[in-house]
Amino acid sequence: MSVSDFIKGLPTHDSKNFTHLSNEHGIRTSQKRASVYLPTEEVASEQLIVMDKRCVLLRYLTQQWDKKTLQRKREHGGDGTNGNNSSTPIGNGNSKKRPRLDPNELN
Amino acid sequence: MSHHYVVTAQKPTAVVACLTGNFTSPTDLNLIIARNNQVEIDLVTPEGLRPLKEININGTVAVMRHFRPPDGNKDLLFILTRRYNVMILEARMVNDVITVVTKANGNVSDPVGIPSEGGVIAAIDPKARVIGMCLYQGLFTIIPMDKEASELKATNLRMDELNVYDVDFLHGCLNPTVIVIHKDNDGRHVKSHEINLREKEFMKIAWKQDNVETEATMLIPVPSPIGGVIVIGRESIVYHDGSNYHAVAPLTFRQSTINCYARVDSKGLRYLLGNMNGQLYMLFLGTSETPGKGITVKDIKVEQLGEISIPECITYLDNGFLYIGARHGDSQLVRLSSESIDGSYVIPVENFTNLAPILDIAVVDLDRQGQGQIITCSGSFKDGSLRIIRIGIGIQEHACIDLPGIKGMWSLKVGIDDSPYENTLVLAFVGHTRILTLSGEEVEETEISGFASDLQTFLCANVDYDQLIQVTSDSVRLVKSGTKALVAEWRPDGDRSIGVVSCNTTQIVVASARDIFYIVIEDGKLVEKSRKTLAYEVACLDITPLDETQNSSDLVAVGLWTDISAVILSLPDLETIYTEKLSGEIIPRSILMTTFEGIHYLLCALGDGSMYYFIMDQTTGQLTDKKKVTLGTQPTTLRTFRSFATTNVFACSDRPTVIYSSNHKLVFSNVNLKEVNHMCSLNAQAYPDSLALATKNSVILGTIDEIQKLHIRTVPLGEGPRRIAYQEASQTFAVSTLRIDVHGRGGAKPLRNSASTQAQNITCSSNILPKPGGGNSTAANAEVGQEIDVHNLLVIDQNTFEVLHAHQFVAPETISSLMSAKLGDDPNTYYVVATSLVIPDEPEPKVGRIIIFHYHDNKLTQVAETKVDGTCYALVEFNGKVLAGIGSFVRLYEWTNEKELRMECNIQNMIAALYLKAKGDFILVGDLMRSITLLQHKQMEGIFVEIARDCEPKWMRAVEILDDDTFLGSETNGNLFVCQKDSAATTDEERQLLPELARFHLGDTVNVFRHGSLVMQNVGERTTPISGCVLYGTCNGAIGIVTQIPQDFYDFLHGLEERLKKIIKSVGKIEHTYYRNFQINTKVEPSEGFIDGDLIESFLDLNRENMRDAVQGLELTLNGERKGAEVEDVIKIVEDLTRMH
Repeated sequence: MSVSDFIKGLPTHDSKNFTHLSNEHGIRTSQKRASVYLPTEEVASEQLIVMDKRCVLLRYLTQQWDKKTLQRKREHGGDGTNGNNSSTPIGNGNSKKRPRLDPNELN
Repeated sequence: MSHHYVVTAQKPTAVVACLTGNFTSPTDLNLIIARNNQVEIDLVTPEGLRPLKEININGTVAVMRHFRPPDGNKDLLFILTRRYNVMILEARMVNDVITVVTKANGNVSDPVGIPSEGGVIAAIDPKARVIGMCLYQGLFTIIPMDKEASELKATNLRMDELNVYDVDFLHGCLNPTVIVIHKDNDGRHVKSHEINLREKEFMKIAWKQDNVETEATMLIPVPSPIGGVIVIGRESIVYHDGSNYHAVAPLTFRQSTINCYARVDSKGLRYLLGNMNGQLYMLFLGTSETPGKGITVKDIKVEQLGEISIPECITYLDNGFLYIGARHGDSQLVRLSSESIDGSYVIPVENFTNLAPILDIAVVDLDRQGQGQIITCSGSFKDGSLRIIRIGIGIQEHACIDLPGIKGMWSLKVGIDDSPYENTLVLAFVGHTRILTLSGEEVEETEISGFASDLQTFLCANVDYDQLIQVTSDSVRLVKSGTKALVAEWRPDGDRSIGVVSCNTTQIVVASARDIFYIVIEDGKLVEKSRKTLAYEVACLDITPLDETQNSSDLVAVGLWTDISAVILSLPDLETIYTEKLSGEIIPRSILMTTFEGIHYLLCALGDGSMYYFIMDQTTGQLTDKKKVTLGTQPTTLRTFRSFATTNVFACSDRPTVIYSSNHKLVFSNVNLKEVNHMCSLNAQAYPDSLALATKNSVILGTIDEIQKLHIRTVPLGEGPRRIAYQEASQTFAVSTLRIDVHGRGGAKPLRNSASTQAQNITCSSNILPKPGGGNSTAANAEVGQEIDVHNLLVIDQNTFEVLHAHQFVAPETISSLMSAKLGDDPNTYYVVATSLVIPDEPEPKVGRIIIFHYHDNKLTQVAETKVDGTCYALVEFNGKVLAGIGSFVRLYEWTNEKELRMECNIQNMIAALYLKAKGDFILVGDLMRSITLLQHKQMEGIFVEIARDCEPKWMRAVEILDDDTFLGSETNGNLFVCQKDSAATTDEERQLLPELARFHLGDTVNVFRHGSLVMQNVGERTTPISGCVLYGTCNGAIGIVTQIPQDFYDFLHGLEERLKKIIKSVGKIEHTYYRNFQINTKVEPSEGFIDGDLIESFLDLNRENMRDAVQGLELTLNGERKGAEVEDVIKIVEDLTRMH
């Protein structure tokens, strides 16, 4: 397979594109720039990208905890009757930690 | 306080990223180019690339990618900035008006993250379900895309891989799956991770491949149905999809590293690869289809296509055309041809000028017209070049005829009315007229029998019915072009003589003192239609039709003596319909009606070189929007000419200027000629689309460059220039360059021809210093194929830019600094070159030299040299001595009568004294990391004393002394700051500090500052009280200006800036204030003491309504009086500011 075969049948979006570009005068050099876009109308952003500020490590630990407690729940069957199905150890009677009110602000 | 104005003269040109997609409409094919803080949208058309809009982003673009939402028919743009701002943009085009909408925006920075060493990487899932980014070590940041939610929750996922080289998403996976190249102690590995978007965690590793090539750097995911990934290494290419594995190691790959790719077809069979040597390859995946398994890859083929600029990014456009985005040389539009031309399948079509990286600049007034030109060291490796940058328009001289005393000049077609070309030039002198015929390139004197040759011609023209007009003080003569015979003559009655005259192809207006006559040209007849007596004598006249398609005018513009006014008369009755008093006592000398970009203007030039211009109503003749500009100092004559299909005006004076319109604003651009008294356009067969320009002693026939404000000429070197110095005595530049040679069997050989291998004279440095510690020379023991850096000192002619001499240094000796200096009492001017021995295993060079060269009589001779113990980073001429920053020392060498360098004094107070500037006895030192220090040389004691220093650590990139107390610095995070010495401080401690008084985030790294100006100084009155001018050059190829302004002007501009920030909305919703904050790592301080000139100048592009909003409540001091600012005042001030560049 030669290089020419490689280059054959290059994709075309609009066959007219670049057809009026003449190469007669050699390589053109251009430094023209488009006019600058100056928006003066405020258009609100549809979506806001917000960073989850929770610490990666804490999130990892809570996930691990979830997995473990789920397992334990399964093992001990009816132990989870106190209605605590929170994903964190919050509210667990054995925990010495008090719940944070705003989990999003954990950092 | 310290107040500054900073503005960009040349916008950044280095391309960071490019991509092709459908943005402005589902069918439009767009090229999107990202440069530093700008994104350009181009349209692909039959005529080539058409720039549509340039969008400023208040941040430095780090990554730009595009994606198509699952239900969309257009592509969206995703941009990540250096400060971790993210945005998703949509372009909409309605009736050729583009709006760019920020669909989503936010910030994904993590205050405690450690920035990843492989740089920021971002990728988008092929089904646009999630955006993934590698920003910090050990973290993978995802933005799940949910169309419904008002908030997109970006989350950091913990990733085991710490050193990540590339990340991308695999195609055809049920869940979004990333593929990663990472490195650990055992080597580099490829691993895939499946992302659970609901739980926001990595689920499992679908497959991995340990120990891919040790220098694998790039991943190319292959689209469905083939799937899998191509891993690009230094020497090999591997395809892998978890089960199927293929590898090739093309021989030609060894030369350099592949650094970018572009997918050619949507099926993913063909890819373009570019390497750091500027070679373009095509990669082809051979596939086979087996029932049950679907399409699988069976082999990989790679072929070299040809050479391009060293690419930063490549994108396939359409019909075999590619865009090559570059940061080391010009960006390119190239075409792939199926037939090879000299072994290359790549045909360059268009180059897009790129100045980056600007490593050094020299500011020189080569034309001796009081206007500086910048010569930059631009580009690197094979794309290295010098760029000569000047403001204004260049005239390329094609012929010159010695003819002194020309009073007027016109070009005519005589006897060849059906030809598109002109063949005659009429020249007026005091008391006579001469006629020149142009036959081919020859110019001969001739006669036109119907013309009066014993009188001075006031006007000449081709008019309707194949006739010619000649106007002298006596009469208007109508001559048949074919027979050259006089057919009609018109004389003013009595013995009055004609004073001024103007005509078009059908009408003539003639003035004699206060009387004005309107004459219509008919076949063989001159018919006087009306006459009027005006209040005062006529000084100048014009009857140019405002509408280019018309051959007659309904208006006459007249400039009057005595009351100094511009009057508009209507035709045919010569009724005065509008009078505009021009203030002052200088009489109008030339008046012209013209149309630029659909707006009608009246230009009126005065006897002192200044010019008024108005917007003119075509029917009522009303003049509005009066403005004044100073073009020169002598009486100015205005003439129209056409160039590149647009009408322009040439203002003939002692500072010839071309007036044209850009974005509906008039631009005044100087021409590179000293004085032009008269001009006319000339379109002769041998001189097509030319101008004839009469100077004091000659006529120049030449062509005009494409009209643009900043003119850039390229001198390609083929190797990377690093430092430049100008020497007036020898009329040369010295440039230090880096060439890369490759070690072959017979020793090192240059890879290609370049400036240093093709110089008229080539010498080689024989004096090789002993290596410290007896270390091995890298050059001598090099393996075959190893690259060696060879440094050259080039001496280049200042006019022709020919390389007169190349002096080659033997590796590992490298040139670290360069200057031209006059030393001691020695009458000669020398080039001083500092070198150091760079040995890879040493942390820092230990030995170097300072060498004194003399270039004289086309010979470069070494006059002296001295050994130094470290790298001499900077050299400055200091009161006839050599001041050098050597390692941690600053040293002063004096030039003895024995022509030797002798160390006079020494101070060690730095980490590394990288940058030096001197003024009087003071020395400003820019340190590697300890900001700036001010030293003083005590001449009597022969010592250096540290006066003051900035105690906040900063990694410096350039320094400059603005005035005795004020110092400008650029540091490595793209910030500018100004420190000021406080001589009035009460305590010694305070005096030893250089407090930081002004700070600004430029968003680009300044490599060099130089005092100088791009425009002529002291031309006319300025409303802008600026003082001093420092030019800078940056990594991204931008050139800018920093100047000092007084407090009240600063306050005014700051008020305008604050208002503009509110009026001009930010694309991507990054606040301007946040962008300009001075930020070094975690330290953030608000910008102060600097005015963002780019923002201020955008005022001129606002519409009237917005302008009014912007000046609302703004106060300014005009003629010592404080008052509320009017839109006109502000336009005038901002326009004056734009004339700095």
